This record gives sequence, structure tokens and C-alpha cells, in this order.
Amino acid sequence: MAKAFRASAGIMLAPAVTLIGVFVLLPMLLTVWLSFQDWSTQTPFSDASFVGLGNFHEIFSPTSVGRDFKTALLNTTIYTALSVVLILPLSVVFGLLVYQREIAGGTALRTVLFSTYMVPMIAVALVWSKLYSPSEGPLNQLLGLAGIGPQPWLSSPRSALVSIVFLNVWQQVGYFTVLAIAGLTQIPGSLYEAATLDGANGREQFRFITLPLLRRTLLFSAVIAIINAVQVFEPVALITQGGPVGSTNVLTYHIRRVGIERAQGGLGSAMAVMLMLSLIVCVSALFAFANRKDSE
Amino acid sequence: MSAPTRSLTRKRPSGRKALLATAMLLVAVASAFPLAWMVLSSLKTPAETMQVPPVWIPHTPTLEAYGKVAGVINVGRSMWNSLVIATITTAGILVTSMMAGYAFAKYSFPGRSLLFSLLIATMFLPPIVTLIPLYRMVGSIGLSASLAGIIVPNLANAFGIFLMRQFIAGVPDELIDAARMDGASELLILFKIVAPSVAPAIAALALFAFVYHWNSYLWPLTVLQGNADAYPIVISLSRLLSYNRGAVNTGLVMAGATLAVLPPLILFVFLQRFFVDSIVGSTIKG
Repeated sequence: MAKAFRASAGIMLAPAVTLIGVFVLLPMLLTVWLSFQDWSTQTPFSDASFVGLGNFHEIFSPTSVGRDFKTALLNTTIYTALSVVLILPLSVVFGLLVYQREIAGGTALRTVLFSTYMVPMIAVALVWSKLYSPSEGPLNQLLGLAGIGPQPWLSSPRSALVSIVFLNVWQQVGYFTVLAIAGLTQIPGSLYEAATLDGANGREQFRFITLPLLRRTLLFSAVIAIINAVQVFEPVALITQGGPVGSTNVLTYHIRRVGIERAQGGLGSAMAVMLMLSLIVCVSALFAFANRKDSE
Repeated sequence: MSAPTRSLTRKRPSGRKALLATAMLLVAVASAFPLAWMVLSSLKTPAETMQVPPVWIPHTPTLEAYGKVAGVINVGRSMWNSLVIATITTAGILVTSMMAGYAFAKYSFPGRSLLFSLLIATMFLPPIVTLIPLYRMVGSIGLSASLAGIIVPNLANAFGIFLMRQFIAGVPDELIDAARMDGASELLILFKIVAPSVAPAIAALALFAFVYHWNSYLWPLTVLQGNADAYPIVISLSRLLSYNRGAVNTGLVMAGATLAVLPPLILFVFLQRFFVDSIVGSTIKG
């Protein structure tokens, strides 16, 4: 019987394991291998020639290749950090608004918030590029009503990246709100009852019950938000092309430009490896931080 | 459900409720505003889109802008391509995820947890990391610039396997053993006995996969190499980019965006319960 199941397991797993092996794991290993090669994306893999750490030296060198990569790495870091810092607190606040039972409308609010997550990023980019339009765009018009002067949004190097963060937060926050609600439903009501009997006010209950018990959820949310944020591509490819003056040149856009459009496969792969390593370090640090908090 | 919020339901001044209602309304308006503005602008005349201060509601709604979109991109062809890509990819993901999820949930075999961890790890891999070699691989097997090139690499994914394993693990072993006694094959058991008992999770996965692959942009753009006949709607939309300068074409661009947004949004409105349940299920369980 057990032997028969082992054969069945093989059959059941074969399609998924083969597909993921060939189209995800193999290219991932190839990316690592190519990062040590001089290779043009136009040529077969067999044309690659080993250059050791040459590609890594180049992408961190003071040349224009190095400058562009370091700018993209920095821009992606800023973009990711800002996205996480905005999305996480908002998701908790919105989650509490949906979850409260004092007034009706929570579920409707959840629907509205989550609906933006269904919108293709390309449409988000098109719509927001018009919302941000300096003269007739509705955002500057609304700011004008509040007595605030027109903002340059996407057209200034100082505000372009932040403007893209805003549209990302708008699109994604509903998804993370649903995650936060899932976390809130896991907190036993008895804890709040006991705290109320002990005379704890709403703020104290949030500080000492809600937040600590949401930590696992928030850790999961942070990891997902980081992975999502490094994938930003459409608004940059469509609206800013990395500009003005490189201020929105982010890694996914830059790696594709170098590795596909300029066909510098070795260089692009080295950049992709650096992205992968940065993610591993970043996520490991988050988990280490959460585990230390847990053991306190 | 209401117990955890008991602290908030102690006797309170009604000012608190008004504050709460205002906050909820503000969040809802801010969230809905961009899409509402998109649809409204797609119905405006070019003269209206250029007015300062802006016209919020079009005086004489017109579908003129949609007609212009049809003059720039092949809307029917693009929508059809998107439908083909999203439907076939989703069907593939459902089959491969159910089979693998069943194996991980109900069989024990050597290396099970190692293999599972390895597959799940790919869930956290941003697609850009594999893009360059994958582009070359798909080209060298003759699939570039075609719908097949978009579809084939995406027929299985870790999220689907994870979700299916979570839910199939909850199906009672007795149900499966009884069917085995009757001599049913494992594939028959999976699709006739197990699948119906996890139908909501399958629906959720189908919707997630469909919307994700309808919206997907980076891979189709890379693999199609400018073959406009195979463009899904989201790629065709970038052709409207050249019309993006100047307010006179705002209606045109917004009409195009509305066309791309509608199918996933309509699916969501009717089936959002499955989306939400599966997100909650995938984070709490296991």
C-alpha cells in the first residue's frame, strides 16, 4: 500500500514540480551562474565566458554603470521603506475601522478598500498620471481649495519617487487591511473584557493587547509588502522612464533595461543577485527582530 | 465576532460615533475617488477634460472616447488575448495546484517537507530575479512573441500549491479511504471527492489566478517583443501613452484604463467573499 502511494505521489507532484523546477528554480540558478559570466542576452548560454566577480566590481564601480545601479538600489530601498512604513500603520487603522461593531458599514468599507487591489497596475499608473497632472489635475485642484499651492508631483526629481509610493499605497493598502482584519479576529475577546475590568482605557488596550498580538500578522504583512514593493515597474516604465534625472530609476526597471533591452545579461544577472541577497538579508533581519521580541 | 470590540461599545458619547462615521467615509472616498474619476473622465468630452477648474461630473456623458480608443488599439483582439492568457493559465494552475496540494496534504513520502519548503520559497522570489534567463530559455524553445510563451511558464505556482495543501489537509481521511475501498483511482478521488469539499478554496484560487494573470505586465511585455497581435489589453494600453500628453486626450486614456479594469473588478464584486476568505484562511491556518 505504502509503495503504491509513493508512485501516486510521484504522479501527483510531477506536473507542478517539473514546471516550477524548469521555469522558476532553473532560471534562478542560471541567474546566479550568469552573474559570474560575460554574456549577451542575444546569444546562447554556451557563449558565456567566466569573469569571476567582474560584474559585481562593475556594478559597484564609480563608472556610469555603477552609478546607475547604486542609484537604482537606493531608490528601491527608499521606495520599499516608505511603502512599508505607510502601508502597515494604515492597514491596522483601516482594519480597526472595518472590524469595529459600533456603527454599520465596516464590510462596505472593506469592499471599497480591497477593490483597488484588483486594478491592473498599468491602469493605476495611467489614472494617477492624470490625477497628478500639474495644471488641470484634480489633486492640485483639491489642494488649491485647501489653500495649498500646486505640487510638481511626478515632474520634479524631489517628489517623483514619493508620488509613486503614494499610488502604490493606494492600490495595496486594502489587501493588507484584510490581513490585519484576519489578525484582529484571532485576538480573544476575553482579553479585552479582563482589561476593561482592570480599568484599562481604549488606548491602553490597543497598546498592550492589540498591537502585541498583531505582531505575527504585521511581520507577515511586512514581508509581503517588501516583496511587492521591489517589483514596482509599470508606473516607472510607462510614466517616468526612471526620471526625472534618475529619481525613479528602480531595480526591476533598471535590471530589465540592462539585461533585456541592452542585452547585457551578465551585468543584469549580477544586479538581480544583489537584489535577491538584499531581500534575504532584509527578511532574515525582520524575523530575527520579531523572534527577539517574542523571547522578551 | 463582536466580543473583541466590547471595550469600544461601553457607553460612549454620540460624538464618538460621528467621528468614527466621518473617518470611515473619508477613507472610503479617498479609496474610491481615483476609479470614480477615471470612469467619469472617460465619459467627458475633450472640451470638458481641459477645463480649469475641472468639471467633476460630465454634463452630457458620451462614449466618444471609447470609440477613439478602438481607433488606436485593437480592443477586441486585446481583450480576447487577455481572456485566453488568464483562462488557460488559471486552468493549468488549478490542476497542478490541486494535484500537488493533495500529495503534500495526504501522502507521506521521503523528502516531503524539504520539497515543500523549496517550492514555497519560490513564492517569495520577485519575477525580475529570473527574468533574464527565462527570456532566453523561452526564446530558445521557440515560444517567444507568442501567447504560449506567456502562458507555459506560469502553469504552476507555489501559492496555489500552498493554498490547496492548507485546505485539502482539512478533508477527512475517512472520506478518502472509503473511496479507495471502492477501488477508485487517486486522480478520480482527487477530482470527484476531494475537489467538491474544497470548492470555495478552488474558487478563490481561480479568481486570484485569473485576476493576477489578466493584470500581469512585466512578463508579457518582455516575451512578446513587440508582436502587437498577441498583446493583452494591459500591454495595448501603453500604446495610449503617446496620447497621454495634454489634457485633451484625458478621456481617451481613461476610457482605455476603464476597459482594462472592468473585467477583474466585475469578478471581484460578485465573488469577493472567496477572495477575502482565502486570504484569511491562508494566513491563519498551518
